[in-house]
Amino acid sequence: MIEVESLTKRYGTVRAVDELSFTAHSGAVTGFLGPNGAGKSTTMRVVVGLERPTSGTATVDGRRYADLAAPLHAVGVMLDARSVHPGRTAFRHLLAQARTHGISRKRVDEVIGMTGLESVAGRRAGTFSLGMGQRLGIAGALLGDPGTLILDEPVNGLDPDGVLWVRRLVRELADEGRTVLLSSHLMHELALCADRVVIIGKGRLLADAPVQEIIDRSTGAASLEDAYLQLTADSVQYRGRSADDSATTPTAGSTR
Amino acid sequence: MTVAAPTRPGVTFSRVLAAEWTKLLSVRSTLWTVVGTILAAASLAFALGMFVRPDSGQSGSSLIVSGYLLAQLGTLVLGVMVGTGEYSVGTFRVTFTAVPRRLPVLLAQALITAVVALATAVGALLASFLVTVGQRGAGGLTVDLTDGATVRVLVDYVCFLVGVAVVGLGIGALLRRPTAALVTGVLVLVVFDHLLAVNPGRVTDTVRALLPGSGARLTMDDATLTALDATTLGPQLGPWGGGVVLGLWAVGLLIAAGYRLRRHDLA
Repeated sequence: MIEVESLTKRYGTVRAVDELSFTAHSGAVTGFLGPNGAGKSTTMRVVVGLERPTSGTATVDGRRYADLAAPLHAVGVMLDARSVHPGRTAFRHLLAQARTHGISRKRVDEVIGMTGLESVAGRRAGTFSLGMGQRLGIAGALLGDPGTLILDEPVNGLDPDGVLWVRRLVRELADEGRTVLLSSHLMHELALCADRVVIIGKGRLLADAPVQEIIDRSTGAASLEDAYLQLTADSVQYRGRSADDSATTPTAGSTR
Repeated sequence: MTVAAPTRPGVTFSRVLAAEWTKLLSVRSTLWTVVGTILAAASLAFALGMFVRPDSGQSGSSLIVSGYLLAQLGTLVLGVMVGTGEYSVGTFRVTFTAVPRRLPVLLAQALITAVVALATAVGALLASFLVTVGQRGAGGLTVDLTDGATVRVLVDYVCFLVGVAVVGLGIGALLRRPTAALVTGVLVLVVFDHLLAVNPGRVTDTVRALLPGSGARLTMDDATLTALDATTLGPQLGPWGGGVVLGLWAVGLLIAAGYRLRRHDLA
């Protein structure tokens, strides 16, 4: 279980996360949504102890991440698929991670098998496509057989087969009683695999409810995407324009 | 802190050490740096050996260690690579979510850097010894391994190169950017010393003595050191003083890097 309570993270004068509270429960997939710059990745980095909160707390199973004696066994983390040395093979990358916890080579081979990377495990990660990098990141998250998984945009760059695989994987992990917190911009995907969604904008909580409830609550929304767009309409910080619109001034520009 | 179940033990220092070892040995740049350093050291010693005159009064050991000018850049690069590697490619997120206490990683990196630098320095010493055999014979330069002063120079050459590697690691871990760290390393180790040497005086000589490049005194034989100490207007460091200065830089930089690592966000 991941508990975030009144979490605030400020960089200088910018409040990246602002009094955010939510809980990701065990046995469920919690989708974490928000426009670019909403504070999703910042929140995830605070939860796993890479950054310190300005105020508030973030705990996993009631404890601060930094206080975990065996973090890989408690929490599987994938924050960025590019977090691999391009000159290191996939196997060595995972082995180095495993060795910090005395996890066996057998387990490394197992997660390579689970993520379908057998044929490229001996190849240097610099030659990997984004999708293969995602698989490697997910393999790293699974290494310690953790009770909680935190995955930042795990389906980015995956082929349709890979997207389906992630959907089934997170479903299985949650059904085994694990906590899964998953961020994504793919609404249709989240509507399919998440039990509950937490939507944030400009660092603040906009909604925290089961998928169907969020759709029902929005006026005239037929899908999670409609509901999401309604909820975040005032929180979008970066908005593009359509090509034939280029002469007009944007209505909501960047706030930074 | 709770005690984990016996089948699921957690992070220990020896495990972090094993992980860092795996990382260092699994990138090719490590091997190339080691080989390049040894080749550069031996080549320079050989090149300088071509100018040896029988009447120069030079010691055999000073010729063997004369490749230090290039070798120090090699072990500096090694340290900088280990210190900045995590940050230049983003693997620090993986590393520090596995070891959230962070400091064991820096300590493990310092240890393995020192070990690899030690092996590199011994390799450079042996290679330099071998390639200058003929030149030493022709020039009448002897290397007496029962002579304490000779052994001191050879051993200290290794100590110097290891010290430079740890300084490189410290600068790398502190600055986190390979280019900035390497430039800084070369400046404080070599360039400032040469610039200050142009204008001798009490202040400049004192500053020179306190720069990490002062550790290069470890590679000098007793006669050279005595001559240096006789002309300096700053502190007279003797045979060990330069090594102490280098060691303090290494420790100081590691403490500063550890402070930054422990107290600040890893974004």
